Amino acid sequence: MDLTGYVALTRQVGLAKELQSVANNIANISTTGYRREGVVFAEFVEILPAEGGSVAMTEARGRYTDDLQGALVQTGGTLDLAVEGEGYFTVMTPQGERLTRAGAFTRNADGEVVNMDGHRLLDEGGGTIVIPFEARAIGVSSDGTVSVDGDPVAVVGLVTVEDQTELFREAGVLFRSDGQTFAVEFPKIMQGFLENSNVSAVSEMARMIQVQRAYEYGQKLLDQEDARIRNVVKTLGQQA
Amino acid sequence: MRALNIAATGMAAQNMRVEVISHNLANMNTTAYNARRAEFSDLHYQQIRRPGTVNAADGTILPAGVQLGLGVRAAAVSMEVQQGSLDQTGGSLDLAVEGAGYFEITLPNGETVYTRDGALKRDGEGLIVTSDGFTVSPDITIPDDAREISINADGEVYAYFNGQVGGQLLGQFQLTTFTNEKGLEALGSNLYRETEASGQPNVGDAGEDGRGIFRQGYVENSSVDAVREITDLIEAQRGYELNAKVITAADQMLGATTQIR
Repeated sequence: MDLTGYVALTRQVGLAKELQSVANNIANISTTGYRREGVVFAEFVEILPAEGGSVAMTEARGRYTDDLQGALVQTGGTLDLAVEGEGYFTVMTPQGERLTRAGAFTRNADGEVVNMDGHRLLDEGGGTIVIPFEARAIGVSSDGTVSVDGDPVAVVGLVTVEDQTELFREAGVLFRSDGQTFAVEFPKIMQGFLENSNVSAVSEMARMIQVQRAYEYGQKLLDQEDARIRNVVKTLGQQA
Repeated sequence: MRALNIAATGMAAQNMRVEVISHNLANMNTTAYNARRAEFSDLHYQQIRRPGTVNAADGTILPAGVQLGLGVRAAAVSMEVQQGSLDQTGGSLDLAVEGAGYFEITLPNGETVYTRDGALKRDGEGLIVTSDGFTVSPDITIPDDAREISINADGEVYAYFNGQVGGQLLGQFQLTTFTNEKGLEALGSNLYRETEASGQPNVGDAGEDGRGIFRQGYVENSSVDAVREITDLIEAQRGYELNAKVITAADQMLGATTQIR
């Protein structure tokens, strides 16, 4: 069995996945509230029949979501909300409650506060937030209190999870939490701002170059292994 | 190599962003134009290793799994509803709306549309119309011999005549508000149409129920902020280049693969 080739192959497959995650991060460099994703590799050990021999192969075992704060950009929109620090907004989708950091909200025809996909923003108690059409001034204070013409109408709740690995990504900058969520004790919401994607172009580029070079090393190894085996076959063939 | 397709979605998104920015900059002097903003959201995720999978006979569970995203899509191009600055023109039929509200316009086919462009004109019969000649409701006709036209903050149109002390009330403009202005469908020529998303039009007098007021002799400027658009343009351009670089890298990796043999 040509084990060298298979070991190198596990690395090549992993690198292709890693490049996919780099590409996804860069594609989402302008997506409001996007969180950088990464792949974690782990070795798994194959025990060889030979005494004391083993070989380590690599496999994409896990992923991580970078919860670094993205840059806040001033937009001036009354329902553009950014979370500073920890916490996620809760929105109601047809599949159930989802968490998001993307705070570009608007009102729908019924006056409910919804995001750009039409999912309703939920308040602390899990109810929808309704803003009447005659509202002149909509204010959202830093603790999440929504006021209409000076009267508080609802409080936007921020939630978090104990373990970041309980958050699963879904399309539309949403996260699904299978575990329990907790209200953030001291939420900080900024009205008129949006949180940019937390992807850093420089580090993604560096990662991409690294992936590309590592892939080329892998190819080189496969190349040399191929030449070595060919050489063996040739040499042994001559002697026979 | 999915990275190729993913980077292509990124390039398409940045390209769309440049289109929105160029539209905003092209309209930086359009009366009552509101800047548009492109909103993006990520595409769905491939579940390569499902989180929660049992990993070993002793029941160890994978805490995170592997999920890989497939790129980006445009979620919305939304209008930023903002009051533009008011420009003094002195024209008696230049009517800016200060605050929320739209003029109601009747198109020649009878359809009702809405606009904030208050640079109004008179047609041959003295009827008050928009720059494109569409009637502003309610129909108000200015008599030929009127000396001066005065429109107050509530939208009441008064005509003054030679030899008369008081003005004559010709009619009153009203304002229409929507629950969700961003849901209006833009038709071009500064016109908007009601949709399911915008909600029902609420017609009423200026200054009531959150409606704005009229300012005679002013027009509302475009709310495009050139500095912001340019910084956005730089970001979009660099974003495009970054995605192009990913395509190059993926291409070179594929090239290395084909060269093994």
